[in-house]
Amino acid sequence: MKNPQRSPTNPGSVRSRFTQVFLQSLLRIRKHSPASSSSSSSLGEFLKRCHRVKVAAYVSMARAAGTRRAWSRAMLWRVRHDAHRHRLLQGRCSRSSSRERSPGKKKRRTKKKKKRRDDQEHGFGNAEKLQKLVPGGEAMDFSCLLDETAHYIKCLVTQVKVMRSIADFYSL
Amino acid sequence: MEPTALTLAGSTDAALESFLNEEIRHLIAPPPESANSFTALLGLPRTRAIELLHSPETPNSPGVAVSGNPTRPYFNCLGDGGGGFAFAADSELVVPAARYSVFAGEKNDSLETSSQKVKNEPLTESDSNHNSSSQPLVSDPTVENKGQRPPKRKDREKKGKASAKKSKNESSEVAEELPYVHVRARRGQATDSHSLAERARREKINARMKLLQELVPGCSKVALLGTWCIDKPQQHSEGSEISGTATVLDEIINHVQSLQRQVELLSMRLAAVNPRVDFNMDSIFAAENVSLVESNFPSMVMPLMWPDVQVNGSRQQYHQQWQFNSLPPPVWGREQDNHNYVTPENSLLSYDSPANSASLHSRATENGAMKVD
Repeated sequence: MKNPQRSPTNPGSVRSRFTQVFLQSLLRIRKHSPASSSSSSSLGEFLKRCHRVKVAAYVSMARAAGTRRAWSRAMLWRVRHDAHRHRLLQGRCSRSSSRERSPGKKKRRTKKKKKRRDDQEHGFGNAEKLQKLVPGGEAMDFSCLLDETAHYIKCLVTQVKVMRSIADFYSL
Repeated sequence: MEPTALTLAGSTDAALESFLNEEIRHLIAPPPESANSFTALLGLPRTRAIELLHSPETPNSPGVAVSGNPTRPYFNCLGDGGGGFAFAADSELVVPAARYSVFAGEKNDSLETSSQKVKNEPLTESDSNHNSSSQPLVSDPTVENKGQRPPKRKDREKKGKASAKKSKNESSEVAEELPYVHVRARRGQATDSHSLAERARREKINARMKLLQELVPGCSKVALLGTWCIDKPQQHSEGSEISGTATVLDEIINHVQSLQRQVELLSMRLAAVNPRVDFNMDSIFAAENVSLVESNFPSMVMPLMWPDVQVNGSRQQYHQQWQFNSLPPPVWGREQDNHNYVTPENSLLSYDSPANSASLHSRATENGAMKVD
């Protein structure tokens, strides 16, 4: 194997952190998924795996970004609570309190969103769209939202690059 | 009106006397100058006002509180509002005093009710705190001030309302020129602190938008940079039809959406890639670093999988297909095909049939047809 001619730019960067975590999660997914799934994979299982891979990608990106960022915290929270709710629906957990807690939190978020609407001077309608796109964007004022969006875009670009390179790596 | 005036008169007479005495002693110019301001308001002829003011000046110190003129309360009120006129209300001039009373009554109402113009003078002079401001008010010697002041007040009002740096500068400048405007400057500063905060906030937002513009490809920076005028967010410049902010936000939103779609797409590819392949972490990392740094596909990679030449082509087709953000079931058919060449097209179509919607199914079949070619 060729040694990299240029050393990696930053071993502690978001990209490398993301790569590590993501690959670990991919390995886990591989292990969890049925062994001989290529021929017997049904639509549902495939979709489940896609979803799991996607979630793993986002979670690993959020972890790589760190909890200092509001969007990463919001994404991790959302994933955790979606998982909770999922389990509740499936009946594995019997914690009704958590079920009530999450819609309450969501209500709080929408209230904050309505309150923050006054802060949005320019780009009124677009800011709402952006809030929906960026995780945790509903509870932010416009300037914070822009800040988080910038970091989120940066991380998304990194994520896409890494995932694409992995996919190409394995599809070549 | 009267009872309050009476109470005012009763309570503050002594203080008022001393205060006004000092004021008058400190006068550079005779009090008619204060009358000028009031004449402008009251609509009295200047000379008349000067007469009236001059006459009560002499019995100033002793005689103010003595007279029990019923019209006096008005003028004490006004005296709270304006230094000279308390003396104009003296009993010596009943007729003009009556006239004054009428005007004073009216003016008191107007003074106390609404217009900012008139408000300041009672404000400036009723409070003992505003000694300094009232002094210069009285001390303005030039007659021209009378003409200058109303338009300047109007200007200041307008500028105070305008939330721009100009207002702060100009109000402070005006304050320097005409020191009696201190109160108004303070009021202006009150609004200006808001405008300052707003302006700071807007600058912050603009800076962040610029950063985002750099991040997002496809933002025409030349056309949009011109719209980032801090003080004029509503004005259009450089021919941008929509406001620059909206366009940039649209671009940002589109970019984020496209990135999210790409993540979904890639996750599907990765999910479909290979159940059998063992992840060789070291090789992957080496590959990652090489590919990411040099932005080249790792050429030294052992094809752990069967080569899929059509990945790039299919990817483009995926992009065309993806008009919606939801999981694209039609794409998975291709994925299946990608990772398993053996799978015949029939199975692809059969997988398509349980697809969620007919449209997806049709798209998948289209893609299948395209792929055959």
